[in-house]
Amino acid sequence: MRKGLWYGLLFTAPAILGFLIFTLGPMVASLVLSLTDYNVFKDQTSFVGFANYAKLFSGEDDLFYKSLGVTFYFVLLRVPAVIIISFAVALLLNMNVKGRAVFRTIIYLPSIVPAVASAMIWMWLMNPDLGLLNSMLEWLNLPTSNWLYSEGSVIPSVVLTTLWGIGSTVIIFLAGLAGIPQSYYEAIEVDGGGWFSKLRQITIPMITPTLFFNAIMTLINSFQVFNEAYILTQGGPNNQSLFYVFYLWRTGFRDTEMGYASALAWVLFVIIMIFTYIVFKTSKSWVYYEGGERP
Amino acid sequence: MKRSNKSIVVLFAMMLMLVSVLSACVRSDSGSSQSSSNSDGSGSKDKITLRMTVWGAPEEVDAYKFGIQRFEEKHPHIKVELQHIAADYDTKLTTMVAGNDVPDIAMMESGSIAYPLAEQGKFLNLQQFLDNDPDINVDSFVPNITYSLEPGNVIGIGPGPESFVLFYNEDIFKEAGVAPPPTKVSEAWTWDEFVEVAKKLTIDTKGRTANDPDFDPKNIKQYGVSVSTWWGVYSNFIYSNGGDFVSEDGTRFTLNEPAAVDALQKMSDLMNVHHVAPSPVQAKNIPATNVALQTKKVAMVIDGQWASAGLAQSKFNFNVGVMPVLEEPVTTVVCAMFSIFESTEHPQEAWELMKALIDPEASLEMITSGTWMPSYKDWYTEPELLARWTENLDARPSGYKDAVVDVILTHGHQTPTGYVKNFNKIMDIVNPALDKVWLGQQTAQEAMDSIAAKAQEQVQGRRDVK
Amino acid sequence: MRQSKLALAGGYAALIVISAMFIIPFVWLVRSSLMDLSQIFTMPPEWIPKPFQWGNFHRALTALPFDVFFTNTMIIVVSVLVGTVITSSIAAFGFSRISWKGRDTVFAILMTSMMLPFAVTMIPSFLGWQMLGFYDTFYPLIVPAYFGGGIFNIFLLRQFYLTIPRDFDEAAFVDGASYFQIYSKIIFPLSRSALIVVALFSFLGSWNDFMGPLIYLKSDRLFTLALGLQMFQGTYTAQWDLLMAASAMVVIPCVIVFLVGQRYFLEGITLTGLKG
Repeated sequence: MRKGLWYGLLFTAPAILGFLIFTLGPMVASLVLSLTDYNVFKDQTSFVGFANYAKLFSGEDDLFYKSLGVTFYFVLLRVPAVIIISFAVALLLNMNVKGRAVFRTIIYLPSIVPAVASAMIWMWLMNPDLGLLNSMLEWLNLPTSNWLYSEGSVIPSVVLTTLWGIGSTVIIFLAGLAGIPQSYYEAIEVDGGGWFSKLRQITIPMITPTLFFNAIMTLINSFQVFNEAYILTQGGPNNQSLFYVFYLWRTGFRDTEMGYASALAWVLFVIIMIFTYIVFKTSKSWVYYEGGERP
Repeated sequence: MKRSNKSIVVLFAMMLMLVSVLSACVRSDSGSSQSSSNSDGSGSKDKITLRMTVWGAPEEVDAYKFGIQRFEEKHPHIKVELQHIAADYDTKLTTMVAGNDVPDIAMMESGSIAYPLAEQGKFLNLQQFLDNDPDINVDSFVPNITYSLEPGNVIGIGPGPESFVLFYNEDIFKEAGVAPPPTKVSEAWTWDEFVEVAKKLTIDTKGRTANDPDFDPKNIKQYGVSVSTWWGVYSNFIYSNGGDFVSEDGTRFTLNEPAAVDALQKMSDLMNVHHVAPSPVQAKNIPATNVALQTKKVAMVIDGQWASAGLAQSKFNFNVGVMPVLEEPVTTVVCAMFSIFESTEHPQEAWELMKALIDPEASLEMITSGTWMPSYKDWYTEPELLARWTENLDARPSGYKDAVVDVILTHGHQTPTGYVKNFNKIMDIVNPALDKVWLGQQTAQEAMDSIAAKAQEQVQGRRDVK
Repeated sequence: MRQSKLALAGGYAALIVISAMFIIPFVWLVRSSLMDLSQIFTMPPEWIPKPFQWGNFHRALTALPFDVFFTNTMIIVVSVLVGTVITSSIAAFGFSRISWKGRDTVFAILMTSMMLPFAVTMIPSFLGWQMLGFYDTFYPLIVPAYFGGGIFNIFLLRQFYLTIPRDFDEAAFVDGASYFQIYSKIIFPLSRSALIVVALFSFLGSWNDFMGPLIYLKSDRLFTLALGLQMFQGTYTAQWDLLMAASAMVVIPCVIVFLVGQRYFLEGITLTGLKG
């Protein structure tokens, strides 16, 4: 066991050192700054204790609550949508079909088109009068939507635009699927099981480590959604897409209240940590590791 | 198994090679930059380096480079290092300030971090230079292109003004048999006349105008006018109606007072009552001004004069007139600015560089192409100078001199970002409420009253009163 | 058999529909890169450039020193990729195949580095690198890759390493193999598909990284492609035609890397000689 500790530390040393050198410092710095009135442009910074946190929770800053609510709604919609759709797409892409290399590449394409260019596409797709989505809905005789441009539909619309970026999640699922030995499926075939039994008895249990990874990462990323507000909506209409990190950014950089922004960041940090911890804890009961390990 | 082992060794070897090669080349790079920054730090008498940060498209940066080249020829002992920050300029500049690595002179924008920096004393007061300069003083400039923290403390000077004007497609007016917008302020349309014209030029997919009782506002092929719901545009009408964002003494939030409310409501009515302008939602269909006019999506557009450059490139008959007048003819003047950081070791040289860059001779190409306008007043009043940038140019149609040049000299109003303290925070409260006005869900009065108290809390006064 | 043919046809249909949706942004980019400014913005959009503006590519390439940007980007991307693949896989091994006290606690602590918004750690990180004298060098962009390559990659590889049956290590242990031999001879080769995914993400991540170079570089001669792309945005208008042409040129190498890269992880673990 002692030997294990030594080797364990040896192997993980680069990562631990990396954390201590490059990450811990800035993290601690921001924690300390959250207790000050730090303004990058001001020459003096004074310690204010928990005043920033007190202001946050006093109810004085209603945009804090607004952005928190908006972000929770976004996370709630996006995490299941991304996981289910990416998994379904990965299953399709894992079929033995001609041209799957091309299909896989196409699914990944939106993730590499620069954001400024793809923002123009969303504007058009979701254009209430001439956009593709409404034209399709009209053609199907369904009610149309104002998408990004009305209070009720802006969050679901932003979730929809982020679904184009599921490429990485799909790829990770594919790598997970590739790791399932073919022989397991053959065993089911011998027993006369069909597609569904293969999925239920082999694919899903075997993919749980990957699923777990994707769930955690999607959760962490969704809480920190920023670009969509920064590029697409600027938080509108009527603050209905004022995502937490966008608000934090605006506070820290535009309004130069970096101390207060740091407090905002640490509140989010704790929220994300709690949710990640919960998922990690529950994973014991549903993630199956062939290596016999429990996380 | 053997193969994989070998491949790891190869990988490691590659990595080591790469890192060593890399560190060698990076080190030599950093070495050279170190020495150059040393030389400007120690400030040896004969050679001075000035650092400057700008944003902009390649042609704008070329204009700065041209100005710098002229400057360096005149001042051979000064070298200018131009740092082009292509995007997220404020973020980059903020980190540079945090790291005490600020330039000597920087391009700034009044609506973002210029005032936060100035409030912390990061910029030199340019008033002293303006007072003592042998060539120029405050009156040399077109009005409203200097920015002040408070009276007597000038923190930035714009390389040229931009005003708002009424662009239109001449062919649409000819075909409809409607008289085009006047170019002289004295003949400007009233708001009602403007709405009437816009109605005649708004056509639905079946060819009916907005005056037709069967007019279908859901399927409009051509809008009479397009007005952006940006404050830059609606501020024109608020000022024209005698309103403002805050009261004259800077103590009161005034967007909920009659003059401003009336102007905002008139804007909203264009979209929601008369259906002659696209709502913010429909406006997503309306491309840039030049394309919108060229493709006859709209007959008239109220936009900044910078759109002239794009219009000049689209080959069609566009022209420019004066905006409709509510009470007084007004155009809001917006522009970026150059500021000098207080930490500069060469304030006089930085001032000279600034002068070189705001000299219209340096940016003539940007001016004649239509994007910019000259900063010096005499380029508007001296006929020979005026001719150089307004005659025989695609970007300067026949109405330009009357509708743009004359108006900006006599009827300009400073941009609210230049004098309303805490403007961004006030607008964080106002904008969400206005979203409802533009969509016709609330009247301007209701919307502004509903947020007046909250907005009032953010009012911190004006920069143009002591 | 009949059913599987039906399933295959259904799968194809679904793939084609999904691909059609997912290819829109790319097609948009490519067609815009061949249009003039006014055609890009026509509404409803046109899909065929008229006429084809091949000159956009030439103009974009000559407007800015893209050869310099490309070289810089390649230096960063390759260095980051090598460092990430090696150190993240070593660390992931330590977090999955070796049992040691406190392992999961240490791992959980490392996980927190993804949970604090970048906006508030950016300035402290910048100040740290500046103090070390590495402002305006590639070091801040490259060196962290050699220290674990980011917890994202470690976590990803850890998940894959945990799925590899224990018997392999135990058999090797019996043969007297060391941890390092187990890592290099068993785990590293077996996790090829996951490593290629990590390599791919690392490549694309640093290829497209904008904020890092923006903050840490100041001289144009060190600028990267992602920074160069932004240079077409002007004060009042953007040169969309050139921006789109330059973007297309930046995206296409990624597409090629991907087309090539995915072949390897798609083949999966069964090809490495491991059966059940």
